[in-house]
Amino acid sequence: MTESKQTYNEAAQRLEAIVATLERGGMGLDETLKMYEEGAALLKTCQAELIAAEGRLNELRLDDLEQELQTEAP
Amino acid sequence: MTGRGEVTTGPLPVGQFVTMVKRALTSEPLFQRQAIKGEVSQWKSYASGHTYFTLRDNDGQMSAVIWKGRCAIHPSIKEGTEVVVTANVDVYVKRGNIQLIVERIEPVNALGAMEEAKRLLVERLRNEGELDRPRTRPPVIPKHIAIITGAGSAALADMQKLIENRWPGLRRTVIGVLVQGQRASEEIVRALALTRRLADPVVAAQRGEPPVDLVIVGRGGGSPEDLWAFNLEPVIRSIIASPVPVVSAVGHESDLLVSDLVADVRASTPSNAIERTVPVRAELEQWLDELDERLAHATRRTFGDARQRLIGLHARLKVAPLAGINMERRSMLSLQSRLNRATESKLANERTRLASIEASLHTIHPKRVLERGYAMTQTKDGTVVTNTKMLELGQEFSLHFVDGSAEAAVTQIHTMEEEQ
Repeated sequence: MTESKQTYNEAAQRLEAIVATLERGGMGLDETLKMYEEGAALLKTCQAELIAAEGRLNELRLDDLEQELQTEAP
Repeated sequence: MTGRGEVTTGPLPVGQFVTMVKRALTSEPLFQRQAIKGEVSQWKSYASGHTYFTLRDNDGQMSAVIWKGRCAIHPSIKEGTEVVVTANVDVYVKRGNIQLIVERIEPVNALGAMEEAKRLLVERLRNEGELDRPRTRPPVIPKHIAIITGAGSAALADMQKLIENRWPGLRRTVIGVLVQGQRASEEIVRALALTRRLADPVVAAQRGEPPVDLVIVGRGGGSPEDLWAFNLEPVIRSIIASPVPVVSAVGHESDLLVSDLVADVRASTPSNAIERTVPVRAELEQWLDELDERLAHATRRTFGDARQRLIGLHARLKVAPLAGINMERRSMLSLQSRLNRATESKLANERTRLASIEASLHTIHPKRVLERGYAMTQTKDGTVVTNTKMLELGQEFSLHFVDGSAEAAVTQIHTMEEEQ
């Protein structure tokens, strides 16, 4: 999970690079197809990251959270 | 706190107990490197080089020691001087005395004790290199933000509203703390400790949520005293120790707190902290849609180009043999026309030459001469007479004119030589 920020960042950067390369053109069909497939996969990753940021809203007093974490501790 | 649960087998020897107390006190970060203000009393420097005194104010007092050569002692310090010390709490086990081990002592000047403590802290942090330490960049998309701020405060409401505008439903844990007063720094330190736990992947997995990957700590504007917790060393040390990036979001734009100097991101206000760390989801979505479109378009174009090239090649392939034949034909035609042109010009030249020969033939024909009034003389045997020596007196000869001839005889001969 700690690498997730890298994942989005890197995925987004790689995706941009792929699109730029494809837009420049001049590549073989095989390579184009491969890049397209990679780009499409990266796009999915990025979109998944957006969804993954949605979640629970906790709002607690310090003591309550301390209590909660205390009881959870193994 | 933790000692209560310990299993003991019987009464503790007091020395052991005091040692436990010592351990508990010296391991508490709040009691280490704390800046403390008070008045000097019972100031005593011994031959050993150590200095002992009591730091006191109206509400309490504590013994303090400055070990020999440990820090510079301002010459103005004497009985009754107001000072700020930076000290660690220690227990002298032999006597069970709690005392301050002074690392730094400064008389309070016009700046005021707090400002002085802040200045000292900043200086110390600078010397330790904490001000230039490498900062952790906040994630592009925070998956779990922890916000440490005043419970129910206006600053919190502002932040919540702004987050909902930018990224509705963004996962966050708000930890409500006291942000001013005596207990503020302690609560902020505890809250930061909780965020460390929430950032632990194991704890996060137990709670069924992603680990905290960004901490925002702050409060709205107030008087310098109100904001002071963010200048206190325990808070500062906790921020530095945080494994996840910390955003310092305290007060108004003009307030500069020590927390601003050490945090990974300095936000001018709580709202600014949100603006700087929470992206606008709709913008990201739009950007991804654009990339999606560009990706598909670029790929389609490459394939379209390839297809177009193929169609072009096919068409050229179909006409290629014809093109060969046509070329042959064209070159033959051209050869032919060149041949024709060459022949024609030769013929024309010949014609011209013939005409000119004809013309000259025409002019030199004897008849043309006769036409102009000359006559041709011929002897009887047909010889053309060209000079007088061919004739004799009495000899008959013929004179030919253009339209006929006449017979004549020589009656006299004159030569050119005679005349001359």
